[in-house]
Amino acid sequence: MQPPVTASCHTIEAESTLSATEDQSDVERVLAGDIPAFEGIVHRWQGPLVNLAYRFCHDRGRAEEMAQEAFLRAYRALAQWRKDAVFSTWLFALATNLYRSELRRIPARTVPLEDVPEPRDARPSDGGLEDHDRDVTVRRAVGALPPKYREALILFYFHEMDVSTAARSLGLPEGTVKARLSRGREMLRSKLPQLLAVPRLKEA
Amino acid sequence: MTRLIEPEEDEMNRILSREEEILPSSGFAASVMDAVRREAAAPPPIPFPWKRALPILVAGGFVLVMVFVTLVVAIAQVIRSSASAQFSTSLPSMLTPIFALQRNLGNAAGWCVLALLVAFISAKLSMRLAGGRA
Repeated sequence: MQPPVTASCHTIEAESTLSATEDQSDVERVLAGDIPAFEGIVHRWQGPLVNLAYRFCHDRGRAEEMAQEAFLRAYRALAQWRKDAVFSTWLFALATNLYRSELRRIPARTVPLEDVPEPRDARPSDGGLEDHDRDVTVRRAVGALPPKYREALILFYFHEMDVSTAARSLGLPEGTVKARLSRGREMLRSKLPQLLAVPRLKEA
Repeated sequence: MTRLIEPEEDEMNRILSREEEILPSSGFAASVMDAVRREAAAPPPIPFPWKRALPILVAGGFVLVMVFVTLVVAIAQVIRSSASAQFSTSLPSMLTPIFALQRNLGNAAGWCVLALLVAFISAKLSMRLAGGRA
């Protein structure tokens, strides 16, 4: 069984469909007492779980610690997985819940929204803010949002802009997630008007 | 699959979708499996000794209910005696309800102390029984 090379959104999407049978079979084996079968689950989902944690805390070491704890909790709660949902949905919801509570306990180091530097020139007309700098600024601003908006945005983009999957991971109704996304975007736009309001020229 | 993409959000979507990705370190899976094996090998948590604790809890609950009932009765008596004293106008008679209240509160305090004592003994006994099994 090959571990995923990266945790790109496309990989996640494909894995969640293709590995559903493998997941179910591994879960049944673990529940029957075959502990090493859990390794298949770890190999399949280590990339996505570590990356999701990384999006929450932006600290590699802590992301791995949180992902390990998520796997451990999944192992403990394996019997509680009702097969009405795909295993990955259940796993992501469990991990998201853990990451959120971990970050409530020890918050990630973020800059307050008011202190996120506003770039002087966001448009690369003939040189200005580089793409990388702009991306970093926007991500910092996301990190500085109040937790409920930040979490909605993180899950939304992690799940390929799929509101229903993000809502399931957060354990919230879709309407609530949409409202939080809308408010979060509004806050970002008000903080970074130059970056996010003006349409960007397409590169040739 | 529900999508939420509006034209004006394109730039934000583009930036936030392009989040950097990390690879788990080489020993991550092994470390998780070690933790899982430790978890599997660990003895199951000691269950709370309900069989031993239940009679004590029931007795404690009974005492608490008794104290509560006694307090309610005492308060009702005080209210009744103060109501009957309203007809009297002399100063010493006006103090009668206060004396009655003091007397009843004294009784109630005694019951409270007794209840606290029983609760304390119950808690100590439960802790000792649970500790003894561990």
